[in-house]
Amino acid sequence: MDWAQFQKPQRYIGNEWNAVSKPHDGRLKICLCFPDLYEVGMSNLGLRIIYGLINEYESAVCERVFLPAPDLAGYLTQTGTKLFSLESKAALDTFDVVGFHLGCELNFTNFLAVLELAGIPFEPSRRRDIIVMAGGLVNPEPIAPFVDVFFLGEFEAKAEEFMEVLKRYKGREARLEAFAHIEGFYVPAYYEVATGEGGARLVPKTPSVQFPLKKVHVKDLNTSYYPTRWLTPYTQIVHDRAPIEIARGCPHHCYFCQARCVYFPYREKKTEYVLTQMEEIYASSGYENLSLLALSASHHSQIEEIIDGAGKLFKEKRVGIALPSLRVDDIVGRLYPRLAALKKVSLTLAVEAATVELREKINKHIDVDAVFEARDVLRSLRLRTIKLYFMFGLPGETDEDVVAIAQMIRSFQRALGVKVNASINIFIPKPFSRFQDVAMDSPENLRRKRQLIQKELGSFPLRRYHISFSTQERSFLEAVLSRAGREIAPVIFRAFVAGARSDSCEETFRWDIWEEAFRDEKIDFRQYTTSVHPRFNPHYTAGGAV
Amino acid sequence: MNTLKVTIQKSGLMRYYSQLDLVRILERAARRTDLPFAFTQGFTPRLKISFHNGLKLGVEGDILATFYFHEETSFVRLEENLLPQLPHGLILKP
Repeated sequence: MDWAQFQKPQRYIGNEWNAVSKPHDGRLKICLCFPDLYEVGMSNLGLRIIYGLINEYESAVCERVFLPAPDLAGYLTQTGTKLFSLESKAALDTFDVVGFHLGCELNFTNFLAVLELAGIPFEPSRRRDIIVMAGGLVNPEPIAPFVDVFFLGEFEAKAEEFMEVLKRYKGREARLEAFAHIEGFYVPAYYEVATGEGGARLVPKTPSVQFPLKKVHVKDLNTSYYPTRWLTPYTQIVHDRAPIEIARGCPHHCYFCQARCVYFPYREKKTEYVLTQMEEIYASSGYENLSLLALSASHHSQIEEIIDGAGKLFKEKRVGIALPSLRVDDIVGRLYPRLAALKKVSLTLAVEAATVELREKINKHIDVDAVFEARDVLRSLRLRTIKLYFMFGLPGETDEDVVAIAQMIRSFQRALGVKVNASINIFIPKPFSRFQDVAMDSPENLRRKRQLIQKELGSFPLRRYHISFSTQERSFLEAVLSRAGREIAPVIFRAFVAGARSDSCEETFRWDIWEEAFRDEKIDFRQYTTSVHPRFNPHYTAGGAV
Repeated sequence: MNTLKVTIQKSGLMRYYSQLDLVRILERAARRTDLPFAFTQGFTPRLKISFHNGLKLGVEGDILATFYFHEETSFVRLEENLLPQLPHGLILKP
C-alpha cells in the first residue's frame, strides 16, 4: 500500500519504538481500539497498560487500531478492504477479541464506524467468532445492544482470568458464558431490563451470572502491572509525554466529580516504585517529557520525596517533568523550592468555581487567594502560560458567581504577567457523582451566562488570554449519553447512519443529525437533562464511592 | 563544539515520516544512548542537529545532517551506539 496518498500516513504505520510484533499462529489474538484518531488514542494510558500487559503473555498477541481519518475510511469502503490492525495489518475480524476503550460517550458513533469498517456485524447475534468487548465506561447501557461483554473497572485486576477464559474455552458462546460468571465482566445478553416503579432494573436471565454487577480495581499500585517498555510514537501526539502514574483515585470529594468515583478507592504508588518506573521509561523511550500523573498529585503522602528523586535522576538530562494536578496552595507553599529546582513548571489550576461561596457549595476546597499573595514566588518559576479550568451552570450558582469567572481570569493575568488559557465548561451532572440526581441548567440560562462572561471579558486584550467554551449542544448530548439507558441505542445508531462521527470534536460535531435522530426515534432528549430520567439507574455499584 | 557530518538514509516504512518526525526520532534515540550529544539552550532544550537537505514525505533517499557533541566523537562510536536505537529503515553513513 502506498501510504503517501493519505493525510498523515504516520498514523497507520505501526512500527513505533517498542511496538510489539508477534506471529499470530496459535496465539490468542486481541486487538485494542481507541475509537478516535491515532494522536488522541495514543495519548490514553489505559490502552497502553492493557497493550503491554496482554503482550507479556507468550500465548497472546495484542495489537492496536484507531479510527481512520475520513480519507482512509473512504478508501477502505470504496475498495472493499476491511479495517486492519496497525502492527500486522490483519483484518480486525480475524482477532479473537476486539477491545474498545469507550471512556468518552462522544465516541459512540466512532465505535460503530470502526465496527462497520471492520465488517463486524452490529448485532451480537450475527457475529460468528469475534467478541466485541468494551471498557472505560461509567454507564454502559446506551451501547449495550452492540457489545458482547463490558469490562467494569481496572483490567489489570482481572487480566489473568481474561486470558484463562480465552485459553480454556473455544468459541464465542462458551467464552461469553464464562465471562458472565466472573466479577467485573458484564455480558448484556444474560440480562434483561425490567421497567417498573422506581425506574429500570437489570434482571439476570439465569441466576448464576454476576449480580449485582461490581466494578473491580487493583489492590496495590506497587505490584500491579505498569508498562515500562514505553511505546514511543515517531510523530506528534496530543499529550506528547510519558506519564508515570503516582496515585489512582482521589482523596477529595468534590460533588461534581465523576472521576473520583470511577477510580475509587484512593491508592498511592511508593516513591521507590515511581522512581524506578521513571528511570525505566526514560531509558526505554528517551522521552523528553515525563509527567507525574494523579487526580491530585499534591495529596500524595511522599510527593516531596518523589519530586526530589525525579530532580536528582534527571538533573543532567534536560528532561521536562510535569506535575499537572498540583493544588495551588501546595505550589506556593511547601513545594515551591522543589519546583524551582525542576526549572520548567506548568501551572494548571482547576478552580472550577470563581467564588468561595460557590466552591463551598460544590465542596471544592482550594485557596485561590494564595496565588495572589505569592505572586512574586510564582513569577520566579519561569511560567510561560497558566491554564485555568472553570465550570458554569453549577447547582446554586448566581450571576455574580458567573461574572466572577471573567474577573478571576483577569486577576490571574495581571498578578502573574503571563498568558492565561482558560477553559470554561458547562457543568454536566454525571452518574456516580454526588450531583448525579440534579438537573442540568437550562439552555436559555446557559446561553445567558456565557454572554455574561464574554461581556465582562470584552474590554480585555485578546493576546493576554485565550478562552475556550464548551459547546452547549455537545454538552447536552454528553449529558444524555452518559445518563440514558438502553432505549437510546437506536438513536445512536440512527445518528451514526446519518453520518455523525467524532462528536467530541468541534469541527465535526453535527447537532442537527442528533436532533433528527431523537425526533425519528420519538425520544425527547430534554427528559434526560431536566431531572433524573426514571430509566437512569446505574446497574452496578461503584464500590461505595458515592 | 565538535561536529560530525553524516548521511542518514531513509528507506522502507520510514519514508512516511516527515522531517519533523525525524528530529523527534533522532532525539529520542540519542537520549537512549550515553553519547555526549549537545542540546540547544533555552526553555525547551532540544537535540542540536542541522539538516542540509530534506526529503518529501513518501520519498526514500539520503539526508545530510550534522550532529553536535561536547566531546570529540567518531563516526564509528556514533554508529555503534545510535544505530541500535534507530527504527528499521534508518541507517547512518559517514
